[in-house]
Amino acid sequence: MNLEAPVVPPPPPAPLQAKDYKSDLKPIWCPGCGDFGVLQALYRALAAVGRQPHEIAFISGIGCSSRIPGYTTAYGFNSVHGRALPIAQGVKLANPELLVIVAGGDGDGFSIGGGHVAHAIRRNIDLTYLVMDNQVYGLTKGQLSPTSPRGLTTVTSPFGSLEEPINPLLYVLAYGAGFVAQATPADMPGMSALIEEALRYPGFSFVNIQSPCVTFGEEDQQLRAHKSRMVPLAGLRHDPADQLRALDLARAYGKELHTGVFYRNPHPPPTYDALARQRQAELGKDRRPRDRVLDRFLLT
Amino acid sequence: MAATQGIEWKKLSLREALDLAIAIEEEARDRYREFAEQLTAHHTAEAARFFEHMARVEEIHRSQLAARREQLFPGEPPGAMRERIFDVEAPEYDAARAFMSVREALEAALSAEEKAYAFFVRAIPQLQNAEVRTLFGELRDEEVEHQDLVKAEIARLAAEPGGPAEAYSDDPVAQ
Repeated sequence: MNLEAPVVPPPPPAPLQAKDYKSDLKPIWCPGCGDFGVLQALYRALAAVGRQPHEIAFISGIGCSSRIPGYTTAYGFNSVHGRALPIAQGVKLANPELLVIVAGGDGDGFSIGGGHVAHAIRRNIDLTYLVMDNQVYGLTKGQLSPTSPRGLTTVTSPFGSLEEPINPLLYVLAYGAGFVAQATPADMPGMSALIEEALRYPGFSFVNIQSPCVTFGEEDQQLRAHKSRMVPLAGLRHDPADQLRALDLARAYGKELHTGVFYRNPHPPPTYDALARQRQAELGKDRRPRDRVLDRFLLT
Repeated sequence: MAATQGIEWKKLSLREALDLAIAIEEEARDRYREFAEQLTAHHTAEAARFFEHMARVEEIHRSQLAARREQLFPGEPPGAMRERIFDVEAPEYDAARAFMSVREALEAALSAEEKAYAFFVRAIPQLQNAEVRTLFGELRDEEVEHQDLVKAEIARLAAEPGGPAEAYSDDPVAQ
């Protein structure tokens, strides 16, 4: 008689659902905020990608949208203003297996943290950067932000802004981002699909999400206006591999609301994290044992 | 904007249709619960209570459909329909506002019921399974009943001063 119990393979894990990524913390955004839709689309996209919550890290800066890490069951770091990208790059290099997502607003990303965006892009770190662009500093109660339209009257521009807004799409395209898209909560299935595509892209991916601020935002930036204004790029027969056309379309930021993938590099280059691992492996062959590191300084 | 993803209407079976209907009620229930939580946090107690009530109503609808499914297909695992629907009967997130009146909350619910009705009206011609068509016809008609209930409640509020609640609340404080 065989006493050995037959080996029964464990059942395959149940597919993850959107609710598996939702934490018990209740969002405190203003009712009607566009970020509620973004969060819902993000849960859906994560479920579609299928990575376990412990395999994901959300990094954010400061702002309304930067609260997102707390509303997920993934690892999260609600860091300091404008510094989400450097921290996220460190996280990815320290643990390349993590799916690293950076979330923040237009002020966090393009004003206070603006200098970091270019470097994250040129390094091509494999992370996804979601910017909830509401054209105003909402958390601090309605000041001019880097993407505020020219002429906007706010508490810091009582006679109207004299500045041209930063164009986030042109900015990241010009620095060579491999995946650039724009979405709005007015099109939930489209936004969810775009976030999923960005998460799957092997390299730096960027999604500019026009997420309305219901408290300080302008009427023409609200979801109702988005529904009538948005122009899906697919309807324009745009080829996302055409970088020059993507740049041309991106110039319409602030005038047209194009949604979809502006640019997807058809031949993604190696990521910085992959190259760093490769170099570590190469140099590791000749590495001195740790207890002999100081030997090189010995006088012979 | 109600939407679905990846549903093959022509091939939709009765079991899948029931799963879809359950997911629609569940999504609406969860959204009303979220609205209630949001408005409670933002000192809008009356509208929050109304949304709590709507969440209970949607839960009753969901459990009735779930019981019907269990009777017809006992023990069969649920299909993954929740991930394929977007705001079918759930009011969209931008329907909630801090300090909204009960009237505005009722109007948000009415819009959601009208949206669900339009969804079933659009779906029915695409269906080939006769049992699914019958089920969707029932669900479409129920949406009309729900609309009538909400409209009756709005009519009862006729004495309330009109206009949006925003007209009576202070502007947000800038710093």
